[in-house]
Amino acid sequence: MKEFTYLTPATVEEAVSLYGQHSETAKYMAGGTDVIVKLKDGWMEPDYLISLKKIEELSELRKNEATGDLTIGATVTHAVLEKSIMIQKEYPIIYDAVSNIGSLQVRNVGTIGGNLINAVPSADGAIPMIALDGVALIQGPSGERSVAVKDLFIEPYKTVLKPGEILKKITIPAQAPRTGSAYIKFGRRAAMELPLIGIGVLLSLKEDLQTCAKARIVLGVAGPTPMRAYEAEKLLAGQRITEDILRQAGETAADESKVRDSVRGSAWHRKEMIRVQVRRMGLKCMDIIKNNR
Amino acid sequence: MILKELNVVGKRIPKLDAAKKAMGRAEYIQDIKLPGMVYGKILYSRYAHANIVKIDTSRAKALPGVLCVLTGEDVPKKMRMGFYKDNPPLKKGKVCSFRDEVAAVAAISNEIAKKALDMIEIQYEELPGIFDPEKAMEPDSPLVHDYHKTNVLNLPWKLHYGDVEKAEKESAFVVEERFTTQWVSHCCLGTSGAIALFDSSNNLTIYTNTQIPSLAQKDFLESLKAMGLENKRARVIKPIIGGGFGSKLDTYAYEHIAILLAHACRRPVKILFDRAEEFKAVSTRQPTIIYIKQGCDKNGKLTFRDMRMVLDNGAYTSWGATTPSVMMMPITSLYRVENVRYEAKCVYTNNTYSQAMRGYGNPQATFAIESTIDMLAEKAGIDRVEMRRINRNQPGDLTPQGFKISSCGLSECIDAVEKEMDIKGPREKGVGFGIASLIHVGGGARIYKSDGCGAILKMDDYGKVDIFTGGTDMGQGLDNITAQIVAEELGLLVEDINVVHSDTDVCPWDVGAHASRSTFVAGNAALGAAKKVKAVILEEAAKTFGVPPDQIVMKARNIFVPGDAEKTMPIDKLLRKVHFSPQGKMLMADYFYDPDNENMGKDMKGNMSVTYAFGAHGVKVKVDEETGKVEVLDYVAAHDVGRAINPLLLEGQVYGGVVMGLGYALTEEVVTRDGKNMNPNFRDYKLFTAKDAVRIKAPVVETYDEYGPFGAKGIGEPGCVPTAPAVANAIYDAVGVRITTLPITPEKVLAALKEKKKRPLN
Amino acid sequence: MTTKISFILNGDRISYEIKDHWTLLHLLREEMGLIGTKEGCGNGECGACTVIVDKLAVNSCLYLAVDADGKTIDTIEGLASTDGTLHPLQQSFVDNGGIQCGFCSPGMIMSSKALLDENPNATEDEVKHALAGNICRCTGYVQILESVEAAKRHMSGGGQS
Repeated sequence: MKEFTYLTPATVEEAVSLYGQHSETAKYMAGGTDVIVKLKDGWMEPDYLISLKKIEELSELRKNEATGDLTIGATVTHAVLEKSIMIQKEYPIIYDAVSNIGSLQVRNVGTIGGNLINAVPSADGAIPMIALDGVALIQGPSGERSVAVKDLFIEPYKTVLKPGEILKKITIPAQAPRTGSAYIKFGRRAAMELPLIGIGVLLSLKEDLQTCAKARIVLGVAGPTPMRAYEAEKLLAGQRITEDILRQAGETAADESKVRDSVRGSAWHRKEMIRVQVRRMGLKCMDIIKNNR
Repeated sequence: MILKELNVVGKRIPKLDAAKKAMGRAEYIQDIKLPGMVYGKILYSRYAHANIVKIDTSRAKALPGVLCVLTGEDVPKKMRMGFYKDNPPLKKGKVCSFRDEVAAVAAISNEIAKKALDMIEIQYEELPGIFDPEKAMEPDSPLVHDYHKTNVLNLPWKLHYGDVEKAEKESAFVVEERFTTQWVSHCCLGTSGAIALFDSSNNLTIYTNTQIPSLAQKDFLESLKAMGLENKRARVIKPIIGGGFGSKLDTYAYEHIAILLAHACRRPVKILFDRAEEFKAVSTRQPTIIYIKQGCDKNGKLTFRDMRMVLDNGAYTSWGATTPSVMMMPITSLYRVENVRYEAKCVYTNNTYSQAMRGYGNPQATFAIESTIDMLAEKAGIDRVEMRRINRNQPGDLTPQGFKISSCGLSECIDAVEKEMDIKGPREKGVGFGIASLIHVGGGARIYKSDGCGAILKMDDYGKVDIFTGGTDMGQGLDNITAQIVAEELGLLVEDINVVHSDTDVCPWDVGAHASRSTFVAGNAALGAAKKVKAVILEEAAKTFGVPPDQIVMKARNIFVPGDAEKTMPIDKLLRKVHFSPQGKMLMADYFYDPDNENMGKDMKGNMSVTYAFGAHGVKVKVDEETGKVEVLDYVAAHDVGRAINPLLLEGQVYGGVVMGLGYALTEEVVTRDGKNMNPNFRDYKLFTAKDAVRIKAPVVETYDEYGPFGAKGIGEPGCVPTAPAVANAIYDAVGVRITTLPITPEKVLAALKEKKKRPLN
Repeated sequence: MTTKISFILNGDRISYEIKDHWTLLHLLREEMGLIGTKEGCGNGECGACTVIVDKLAVNSCLYLAVDADGKTIDTIEGLASTDGTLHPLQQSFVDNGGIQCGFCSPGMIMSSKALLDENPNATEDEVKHALAGNICRCTGYVQILESVEAAKRHMSGGGQS
C-alpha cells in the first residue's frame, strides 16, 4: 500500500473540514474492509485517510419507541445489526441480509454505511434499506441533505454523494402493522458468497390479513444498481396474496430485471432465481406476519 | 478381518507437530528469513499468445534497491522444466499463455520489487490464440510451439486388451456418453515460495515446499549444470508445508528463477506467491474431455470398456500429461472387464497447464466410468448396487493390465456403504442416493526408475530414536506413521521417536509423496531399518538374559522375557550397556525399500503397485428442483486400507479427500476467458466453507495386506476419487437428470430439469 | 505518517511507533516477529489472519495497525499458559485431528475462541456460521467441528469427554 496519514476526527463537522483541507488527496474510511482492499490493489492512493470510527453520533442504533422510526448510524457494523434481538425480531430482512455478508470477521468490522457507499451491484446492505423505504442522511461541505436509499445509487461503485459528503445515518420509517420481510442471497455455496442474485421482499397486509397494503420487491445483481421491481409491486398492491399471485409477481420481476451474464453465473439462471425466490420470500413474509399475531 | 491389537500401531495418536502448529510456532516458507535475504518477484505475460518484440529493463534496473533484473535472455539454453523439457523458467522470444514468466526482479523489499516490475517495458505482437484442445488438433489450428510442428504431444497413451469391437457386437446392452471435467486448483492455504542461496563454492541451498525433495534436487542440479555449475551440491530443505495435494510434485519456474536471481545477485533470494499468483501460476488438476462406451451381457456382466480422451495440455508440459498412465488403472482394472481400449491425446493450447493433483487422473476417469455404470445398469434393468457386486474385483485377480490384486476389500466396502445408507430404500421427492467405487494404488506406484524410499535410524543412549526418512509430511501424517511403526517394532512410545524428513543433506532418497505411497513405502523403509536394529538388540539381550532371541519381547520401553520377573530391563539401560563396553556398539541401521512392482511395458502392462486400495462411497442428496441447488445430506466413504496405522489421521485423510471431491463435483472451477483466469481469489473460486460441511461416515475395512507395514495400504487419495460420480448418480436418482460435465452447478441441473420437462417421457 | 499507539497484546501492555499504512497483520508478523498469525490471501477471504480485537474476531489483513490503539488484542501466541499448558481449544484441536498442515489453524482457533468466549453453548450451526470465514483445505472441517465441540464441553465444565 502507498503510505498515507491517518486522521481521526471526533465529529462529522471536523471530518468534513479535514476533507475540505485535503480534498481529492483524502478519502473517508469507516470499517475499512472495502477501502483497505482497494488501497492494496492500488484502486485508490490517498495521502490522507479520514477515519469515521471515532465519531460517536455515527454509531448509534436506536429505535424510537414513540414514533417507531429506526435510526441506523453509518458506522454500525453488520455484526451489531446481526446480533441485535430487535433487528432479528422486527426487521428480519435486515437480519437476513447482513448475517451473510462476507464472514463474521468481515462483519465485525465492516459497516452498513460503508457497504452502501461501496455501491457494489450485489448490495446486500442496500436491499433491505430500500425495501424498508429507508432514507439516508448526508452531511457535507454544503450542509445536510436527505436522499431515499433507493435513489442513492448511480452506477456500480458510484453513489450520489458528492466529494466531501459523509453518509451519517439511515432512518427507517415506522413499519406498518402486519408487515413481514425477508431476503435471500442465492449462490453456489452456503457462505462467503457474492451472490448470483439477491432478492428482498416486504409485504404489509390489511386488517383482513389477506390483502396487500404495500409490497416492496428489491433485486440485487439484477442490474447495475439495486433496483425495485415496480411492476411486480404494482401487481401485488391491493390484491389478495396467494402463492399464485406471488408466482406472477416473480415472473414480472424477472422480466423487469436487467440481468447479465458474468463470471458468477448466467443471465438466464438469474432470471429463473428471481421467479422462484420472489415467490418464496413472499411466502416467508406471509409466515412471519402470521407468526407475529 | 479382525486384526490383533498392537501397542502403538492402530492407535489414535495426535499429529506429532500439531501442538507446535496450534501454538503458532511452526515455520512455513512464509516465516523464514535469512540474513541478507532479498525479495524476488516475477512479471507475467500480458497476452495468451504473442511474440516478444522488445524488452527494456533499464528503468527497472536503475530503481534504487533493485539488485538485478532477468529476462528469458538470461536463461541458459538447456534449462528446461518438466519431463517434456519444453518449459524454460523465463520465456524468450514468445509467450504462449497468460501464465508465462517474462522477467524477474530481485530487490531489497517486496514493495521495491513490485515497483520495478511495473517499470519493465515490453512490446508484444499479439498472435491468434487457441483455447479449445479439440480445435487445436485440427490441421489449420494456430500452433502453440512452432518447433513442435503439431499441437499434439508425442506420448504413448494407448492400449487395447482383448477385442473391444467384437465384445461390443456381442454385448446385450451398450451405453455411450461424453463427459468433461474442469480445471480446479489445489488451493493450499500456504502459498508457494522458495528461498535460494549459494555458498562461496557455488553450492546451492534451497528452501522450498516440495513433495519430491530428491527429484527436485535432481532438477536443480540439472539447472546448475545448465548454468555452467557442474559437480556442485544442491541441498533441498523443506520448511513446514502449508498443504500439498500434488501441487508440489514438479519443480516450478519460481524455484529456478530464485536460483537464477540468487546466483546473479549473490544474495539469498526469496520468492513468495500472493494468493492471486497462487491461483494463476500454480498448475491445476488436468481437465479432460472423455468419450466412453461400456457394455454388458444380459446378466449385467461387463463385456467391454472403450475410452478416448482429449487432454488440454496448456502451453507447457508438467505431470498433467502423464495422468493417462494412472487413468489406465481404473479404466482397465476397476471391476472385472476383459476387453478394454483406451487412447489419450494431450494437446497444446494457450491455456494454463496442469500437473499432479490428489488422485492424479483417477477422479477424472472414474467420473466417466462410474457414471456410465449406472446408465448401463438402468438400461439392463439391473440394480446399480448389484451391478457393482456382479463385476467386483476379488483377491487373486489378475487384471488385463497385469495388476495382481492381492488384498481386496471392495465387496466389504460396498456392504459397508449399504449398511450405513439405505440406498435401495424409499426416498422423498427430490432426494436421491448414489454409489460409486474406486480402485487406487495402495503399495507405491512405479512411475519412475525407482519407487523406493530410504530410512536411516539411530538410537541414542537414552532409548530415543532419530529416524531420517526420504518421505515428506505435508500435513497428512507421514511423521506419525513413521514414528508409530518404529515405536511398535522397537517397543517404545511415539514420543521417543524423532522423525527427520526435511533435508536432503541428511535424509535418504525417496521418489516423492504421491500415489498414496508414504505409509506403504516410507513405512516399510522405516520398518526395515527398525527390524535391523531390533535384531541386534535382541542378540545383545539374548546374551544378557541367557535365552534365545525369539523368547525376548520389547514393549513399553522395556525388554524382557515374558513370564520371568528377573529377566527384564529398560531398553535404554541395555543400550548403554552395549555402548559402554569394550568394542562397544551403537545401534544404527539403514534400509532402502523399493517395492516389488513393475514399470509399464510398451503395451502399458505391468503390476504398477504391490497392492491396490479399494473403496466405495455412498451419498444422499436433495435437489431443489426450482433452483437446481444440490444439498449433500449424508455421505459414507468406505475404504479398504489393509490396516489403519492411525485411525485419527486416516479419518482426516478421508474427510479431507471427500470434501475436496465434493468441491470438484459441485462448486469448484477455474473460470477462463480466452486463456485468462477470471477468478483468481477465494471469493469467486468456490471452496467449501465450514457452513457447507457435510457429515461423513468413514468405515474402515481392514484386509491386512501381507506386503504393507503391519498390513497397511495407502489412503491419501481415495477420498476424492469416486466422489463426483457418486454425486452425479445420486442426482440422477433424485430427479432423473444426468449431468456429464463438472462442476454440477445449480444452473446445469436447472437447465437439465427444464429440458427434461419439455421432452415426453420415454 | 507515523503514529505512536498503545495497546494490550496477549495481556501485555505494548507501545509501538507504527506507520499509518501498516495493517495489523504486518505489525504482528513483520515488525513484531509474531509469525503465528498467517497471511492466506490478504483480502479478508480466508480467515488465516484472524486475531481477536476487543473480543471480536477480525481479519488482521484488513485492519489497520493504527486502529489497534487502545484495544485489547489476542493472537495465537497468547493462548497457551506461561507454563506451556495449551488452551483447551488448542489441546482439543491437537487431540481430535483438527490440525493437518496447520496453516489455517491459528486463525481457526482464534475464531473458535472468540465464539466460545461469547457463546459458551454455541450450537453446531452457530459454530459453522462463526467459522464460515475460515477456509481449510486439508480437513474437510469434520475434525475441526469435532475439536470445537470437545473444547466447548471441556470449557463449560464438562471435564473429560
